[in-house]
Amino acid sequence: MFKKVLIANRGEIALRVIRSCHERGVRTVAVHSEIDTEALHTRLADEAICIGPDDPRRSYLNIPAIIAAAEITGADAVHPGYGFLSENPEFAETCAQCGLKFIGPTPEQMRHWGDKVKSRALAKSLGLPILQGTEVATNLEDAVDKAKALGFPVVLKASGGGGGRGMHVIQAEDQLRSVFQAARSEARAAFGNDELYFETLIERPRHVEFQILGDDHGNIHVLGERDCSIQRRHQKIIEEAPSIALSDELRSDMTSTIRRAMKETGYVSAGTLEFLMDEQGNLTFLEMNPRIQVEHPVTELVMGIDLVAEQIRIAEGLPIELPAPNLAPRGHAIECRINAEDPDTFAPSPGKITEFHMAGGTGVRVDSGVYGGWRVPPNYDPLVAKLIVHGPTRAHATAKMRRSLAETIIGGIRTNIPLHRRILAHPAFEEGRISTCFLDEFSP
Amino acid sequence: MKLNLDQLRELIQLLDEANLTEIEVKQNDDRIRLRRDPAPAQAPSAVAADPAQPAAASAEQAGGIFVTSPFVGTFYRASSPDDDSFVEVGDRIAPGQVLCIVEAMKLMNEIEAEIEGEIAEILVENGKPVEYGDRLFRIEIA
Repeated sequence: MFKKVLIANRGEIALRVIRSCHERGVRTVAVHSEIDTEALHTRLADEAICIGPDDPRRSYLNIPAIIAAAEITGADAVHPGYGFLSENPEFAETCAQCGLKFIGPTPEQMRHWGDKVKSRALAKSLGLPILQGTEVATNLEDAVDKAKALGFPVVLKASGGGGGRGMHVIQAEDQLRSVFQAARSEARAAFGNDELYFETLIERPRHVEFQILGDDHGNIHVLGERDCSIQRRHQKIIEEAPSIALSDELRSDMTSTIRRAMKETGYVSAGTLEFLMDEQGNLTFLEMNPRIQVEHPVTELVMGIDLVAEQIRIAEGLPIELPAPNLAPRGHAIECRINAEDPDTFAPSPGKITEFHMAGGTGVRVDSGVYGGWRVPPNYDPLVAKLIVHGPTRAHATAKMRRSLAETIIGGIRTNIPLHRRILAHPAFEEGRISTCFLDEFSP
Repeated sequence: MKLNLDQLRELIQLLDEANLTEIEVKQNDDRIRLRRDPAPAQAPSAVAADPAQPAAASAEQAGGIFVTSPFVGTFYRASSPDDDSFVEVGDRIAPGQVLCIVEAMKLMNEIEAEIEGEIAEILVENGKPVEYGDRLFRIEIA
């Protein structure tokens, strides 16, 4: 068993990891930038080490500083959370070289799934359904030929992108001609890789993803799906489990396909396979995220498991421990991501939180890294809290979320709570008529 | 060194005019040092922090300048356990002079002085861990 885990992250996910560690009797080390000296993760961890200035490149992304913090505190493992260094294979390798266990998949697995073109090919070879797409376009004329062969409208994607970054919807040839070079420079600047390729555009898709866990003993578990269709500019804002769009038959087919595929690659730790679902109910592979995800709590609530504790157990070399051999979702869970931003303009709203009262009561969970009187720094992600509810049915969960949003008060900064209230009150949401275009179509 | 009252008065005047906090005059084996408490606004301006560099030196209201750790790591006063310490309290230091080592990831990072002065205090024990921004030395500026 680990004695001490260093958490190479901040905010709610750092707290999430600290909590599972403390419940296991494992001591924790928080690392932080100068501006985060009073952040909640530094207060709740057993030890806190300042690793650099506010700029994340010199603190939360600074590999030597994080390794040195682990060395001086005698930590034996590192949990990367999500974002920052969580999908950086060099970081995982450096941890291993320094005798630190990286709580996550192997660097090779991160490399396989990190590149979009490679991960498409890998998914195809593993028998996962993939979207019609092209090879990398070598130049503009090649791009025009490839897009025409695929048929407009198409999605122009960056090989190094992911999570909704580096994509453009292209309706026709002249639009492609005008954006191709810019998209290429953008991809080079953002991902250090200017490879672009095309995929067929799915109109009004749902985003459906499957949670997986694998261990060193060859066990692979597919722990149901999440529906993360409510998005703003490809960023998820509401997630739920299970997805009402999946029939029992499709769920069971996908579960066995994914289990077989992941067994073949020998996947270890937590991961998520993301798919798009078209209006006919066909699923196609989008990407694989080799880490814990923001929305993991909805799976935890319906499955009755602790995914972070399982990640730790797996890293310790233990087999996955589930409450029952064939877990099935119980009830319905919904999560709202509460961001420090203007609910209408979406402009970031950092600053001092003067009042902080989160909802409570049965079936309500709050994962947050902030507190009243603390100043939300402008340097990082705007997520201030995740409000998660669990009820016997989707209707119960929806009612519980409305009640919880009504109880929640965050003062001093603006948040997107009003937007969440409008979405939850919308008949289309209630009826489950959701897609990634929900906000554009219904402007709630 | 024999100083008459007029010469001493001249030195005091110089200290004031040049807005200095300290003057030291050496002649053969004799020396005289004049000191006064620095004006609060002047001490911090003595070192302009280079924004491209980690804060290796930060100013305090009074009592000198602190050299802070630019990394998280382990603080060493000498290059090996058998070597002498790089500096001791009372040593005069010059820009570029190595003050200590902060070890991070088995790399020995030499921390150099950015200013001229005298080591007034060593604030961390040899071999102890330091965080980013921790104070290592207090330097009195001459």
